[in-house]
Amino acid sequence: MSDVDLTEAVRVLRDEVLDTVRHGDRDPPGAEVFEALLRALSIGGESVPGLDLALHDAVARRLAWGDREEAVLADAELVFDRLMTSVDRAFRDPDDQMVVIEAATQVAVTVARVVALAAVARAGRDRATRMREEQSQRQLKEVLEKQKATILRLEHELKQDFR
Amino acid sequence: MRIAGDTHVGKVRPSNEDALIIEPRMGLYAVLDGMGGASAGDVASQLARDTIREFVLHRRLTLAPAALLEAAIVAGSTAVFTTAQHQPERHGMGTTVVACLVVDAKRVVIGHVGDSRAYLLRDGRLQPLTRDHTIVEELVVRGLLTADEAERHPYKNVLSRNLGAKPETQVDVVELELRPGDRLLLCSDGLYGYASAEAIQYLLGSGDAPEHVARDLIELALRGGGGDNVSTIVIEAPAAAPSSTQVVRTSGAVAWWQRRQRFLQAASDGGLARNPIVRGLAAHEAIDLVAASLCQAIYHDLEKSTGVNVWTFAQTLASGWFERGGDWKAVRGLVDILGASARLVVDDIRAGDARLGFLLDVAVSRALIVVELALGGLLAERLRQIDADLIELHSAAQDTVEHTTQESLALIDIAELTPDGEARAGGDARARASERFIDRPTLPFLRPDRPITSSGESAEVVAAISKTITLARGRLSPRAELVAQILVALETVANDRGGNFATAVQSARELYGVRAVDNAGVMPLFDAFDKARIVTAACVQQLRAPPAIRMRVLRALSTAHQRLVGATTGLVLEAVAPLGERLREIQAVTGTLRDAVAKVERKRADLERRFATIVDPSLPWGARGTTEW
Repeated sequence: MSDVDLTEAVRVLRDEVLDTVRHGDRDPPGAEVFEALLRALSIGGESVPGLDLALHDAVARRLAWGDREEAVLADAELVFDRLMTSVDRAFRDPDDQMVVIEAATQVAVTVARVVALAAVARAGRDRATRMREEQSQRQLKEVLEKQKATILRLEHELKQDFR
Repeated sequence: MRIAGDTHVGKVRPSNEDALIIEPRMGLYAVLDGMGGASAGDVASQLARDTIREFVLHRRLTLAPAALLEAAIVAGSTAVFTTAQHQPERHGMGTTVVACLVVDAKRVVIGHVGDSRAYLLRDGRLQPLTRDHTIVEELVVRGLLTADEAERHPYKNVLSRNLGAKPETQVDVVELELRPGDRLLLCSDGLYGYASAEAIQYLLGSGDAPEHVARDLIELALRGGGGDNVSTIVIEAPAAAPSSTQVVRTSGAVAWWQRRQRFLQAASDGGLARNPIVRGLAAHEAIDLVAASLCQAIYHDLEKSTGVNVWTFAQTLASGWFERGGDWKAVRGLVDILGASARLVVDDIRAGDARLGFLLDVAVSRALIVVELALGGLLAERLRQIDADLIELHSAAQDTVEHTTQESLALIDIAELTPDGEARAGGDARARASERFIDRPTLPFLRPDRPITSSGESAEVVAAISKTITLARGRLSPRAELVAQILVALETVANDRGGNFATAVQSARELYGVRAVDNAGVMPLFDAFDKARIVTAACVQQLRAPPAIRMRVLRALSTAHQRLVGATTGLVLEAVAPLGERLREIQAVTGTLRDAVAKVERKRADLERRFATIVDPSLPWGARGTTEW
């Protein structure tokens, strides 16, 4: 393996991988994936402390903003594909390329896991909300019945008093 | 101060019962959210709006700001209550209000009644300035409910205070000292009920103009469902005077970019197209390839106060040229032309705006120094390389014949072991060496039309993939069936030559099976994907093959892995989608029920009122005394 600082070498590919010419430099789609890749490369190894958390945070931010999970996933895929092409061109040493490819795969799998987790959590919340809604509906129906009975009684008494 | 407001009916309600006050002359801004249905809600909010506005207009010179705002809101409440008393069909109408009175550039007063809110964004953090006047919130404050229970409470929207319930109402008033750059947000519950606080904070802190932020916040609420009328007012305190860095980042970068044609023309006039580095290219291509790229790199560096783009430009351009055996003189000439062109642009800007010109002169000079440093680094690297080559040459001259023979034998072994891979790699290198530098553009941002998929692998790589998967399966325990299935799927996807996504989806469906949509159902699959990734990468490293082949195997398997995981996640999303749709249907039913309860409640209140008050003689049943229950 060459003694190239891989993090810095990949960092200079940012414009190309995120296609900032088209999307602008401010938060281009998939920026969170690229940042996570740099983090994975700078720390290295199989277990990257904080990678999961950082991606959770970044993906949650995009979902809170209103992006769909499918969009987050598609952006990650596009970044992965562009990175493969760029790495092929930019690195000469196969060992360097392998390190970057491994890290990119790890990030891609983590993004997919985070998106799936978010979707499953949303499904859980939907189920809980549905139960609460059904409970509210039962309570509202009871209230409605009581109100209707009261109205009938009041109308009846009003007519009686008038007579 | 910059102020903007906007309101929207939302996606569900038939009419907009919100009202806004935006009166820059009086410094008065407010959001009002009417209630009462049957056209009473909008009457209440508009009546309160007009009353508050009139009150402030006529009494602003006689009352202190806090007292003025409080009294104005109380007057609004009295007006709504009185009108409701005189018009039976509007009995029970009311409105919330959150109002801001700007005293001066540094001081505001906020008053509110009901559940419309005011937020302050300071140093990027969003903090609420008001507390909702709802029954549930009161219970939370008294410690009778937790925040979670309050969130789930069916009556969480029932107000404890509003304008119109009583002739006079209690108003919460806070005074606030503003700091430069602070932003205030006034909004109705149609915003925060359908958008997360984090998203609101993000938009409010985006730095966009208040009119854009006000509109974007409404768009956010609509994307979140838009179940209620939504109104926003954004108030921005004047920012501190911009620093030199900020001026360069904003006005400087824009001024530079606006004069890019001048830069390109100057480079062209300076003879850039005749430089040996771009020989063989048409003049306009040379300008596009080199001058436009540097212009763009300088622009990005000005915007972000960095030098990384210019550094990358200089390094890529010069290293590519040196690798082709190019000389230093050509690079020096090119940089001189570009530097002189940049100076011309800066002089142009200085003629229009002396201060901006001075700041840009410093910034562009810095960019040119970065170019010199990058080139200096490359030259130093070349000198080190020449030193190393000389030492190696000297050592080689001292080597024995035996050593040379051994080396030759080793070379023969390698050639025999890797007949295809190494020979092709050598051929590629020779082919690359024979082509001109200009045939192989090295500037990344000049290549927007990159292919993103490969067109299949050679037989050698396919065989190596198969061997890797066999190795990986051999390392698994018999119980890791799911990981084994994933390895088989990986091989299928990696060997597919037809774009491989359809194959990935099919394989993902087989792996996904009939899993439940919860953590217990889905997460084991992703754990298995992770294990498969780790074991595959380890086995690729063990392959007895040249590094280039191992790299291609890892690349093919990694791409397959990414495709497979992506397709599996797509299946999870597909499984989750119907749950959300069903929930929305149920929520619509609940909304209808709530409306029905409110309608019946109004009817019941009307009947009780007829019993409890002296009956109007004009009513059909004639004058009577107070009804006794």
